[in-house]
Amino acid sequence: MRWDIRYRETWLHRTNPSLKLLVMTGVFIVVLFLHNPNVLINLSIGLLLLLFIYTGYPLKYLVLFFLPFFVIFVSTASSMTLFGQGTTTWVQWGLVHITKESFLRGMHLGFRALTFALLGLIFSLTTRPVYLFYSLMQQLKLKPKYAYSFLAGVRLIPIMLEEFQTVQNALKVRGADHGGVFKKVKRYAVPLLSQSIRRAQRIAVAMEAKRFSDTTKRTFYYHIGFSRYDVVFLVSLIGLVVLSYYMATVFPYIPVTDVR
Amino acid sequence: MQKGLKLADILTTIVISVVFGIVYKLWGPFYYFVKPFGLHIDQFIYGMWFIAATVAFLIIRKPGVALLAEIAASSGEFIMGSEWGLEVLLYGVIQGLFAEVAFAAFRYKRFDLFVVSLAAIGSTIGSLIMDFYKGYIEALAPWNLALFLIARFVGAILISGVFASSLVKALEATGVTQLVRSAAKEDFDQLNR
Repeated sequence: MRWDIRYRETWLHRTNPSLKLLVMTGVFIVVLFLHNPNVLINLSIGLLLLLFIYTGYPLKYLVLFFLPFFVIFVSTASSMTLFGQGTTTWVQWGLVHITKESFLRGMHLGFRALTFALLGLIFSLTTRPVYLFYSLMQQLKLKPKYAYSFLAGVRLIPIMLEEFQTVQNALKVRGADHGGVFKKVKRYAVPLLSQSIRRAQRIAVAMEAKRFSDTTKRTFYYHIGFSRYDVVFLVSLIGLVVLSYYMATVFPYIPVTDVR
Repeated sequence: MQKGLKLADILTTIVISVVFGIVYKLWGPFYYFVKPFGLHIDQFIYGMWFIAATVAFLIIRKPGVALLAEIAASSGEFIMGSEWGLEVLLYGVIQGLFAEVAFAAFRYKRFDLFVVSLAAIGSTIGSLIMDFYKGYIEALAPWNLALFLIARFVGAILISGVFASSLVKALEATGVTQLVRSAAKEDFDQLNR
């Protein structure tokens, strides 16, 4: 999502969105099968540097965006640390059983969640949805009817939030703002969904009339191509992964190479 | 007949999913708010992240809608800046795929509570496959893992099964679903009499 915050445009913003998505998914899959905590810590540090130096946002906003990730780190790490299996007991207190193995595994999970979150944050801070979907149509041959529907959907988010406020006020005026979570969800969801469906139908008719679903000989308003920034991006991300592995074998932090 | 989904179906699915994308995004803070209570109470509410697939399918009733809805809702969540980042996209694809399989198993002909619950169970299995790789859940103590699994399955059936179908019933009462569903065979029979 784009916030109305002034930011500097860096090479990360100019990278081809499809390439960025694919490379980041690649890193994601590497991390998914990574069981060495040393490599993971190096990789998180590298991505953290990428976020703080090269996304071009002011430091105070980056710290603000980063805060929820800290909560994720703790909450992801805690249940494995407290309830995981292991042999070297550290603390035993009722159901809580902290072992060396479960602690390491918990920390590993925390760092893994952190890496995923960093990848996502770097991507969404440096990519405009419009360019992303134009690039998906041009480079990855996504069908225009899907891409333009997604774009229309993204455009509807502010309208939906406004409608949400309206429903909220209406419920307050009628004194109907009590009840359980699910009753509440339903009270908001039914008007929001039904209005959205009606709106979607109207927009779809207009879009079909304007041939947005046509696939033959389509031209694009934005031309998204490749540039030297893509080479920089590709090289730096691959370099980051390779360096993380190299540093982990040469200067390991902890003598554990597999947390499973 | 045109092959695949029409633009109107796709757009409606995506717009419904955007609504749930907002819910998914707000569900994140709620999820880690209940997490510190321990004993996997958080897993009871995990099922909310499967609801886009079942609701969208119940409304539009066409093949491919469940998968598309779950992908769209998770990318909506992703674009709005989810705390989990890129992983929500992959979870979305797999959860949607397994929900789709459940609907396909009945050749997209059944829309009752049973098949919706089956889709919820499918999505749960999908999310567990991801957790198996990502979260080492098999390394939890056995009693703890059992609690985790039961909570997630029960929560999923209650939220994405029972709650989703009651939500769609309420929507049907507004008449808006008539806009998107293609006319049933009985309707044509009525005309041909």
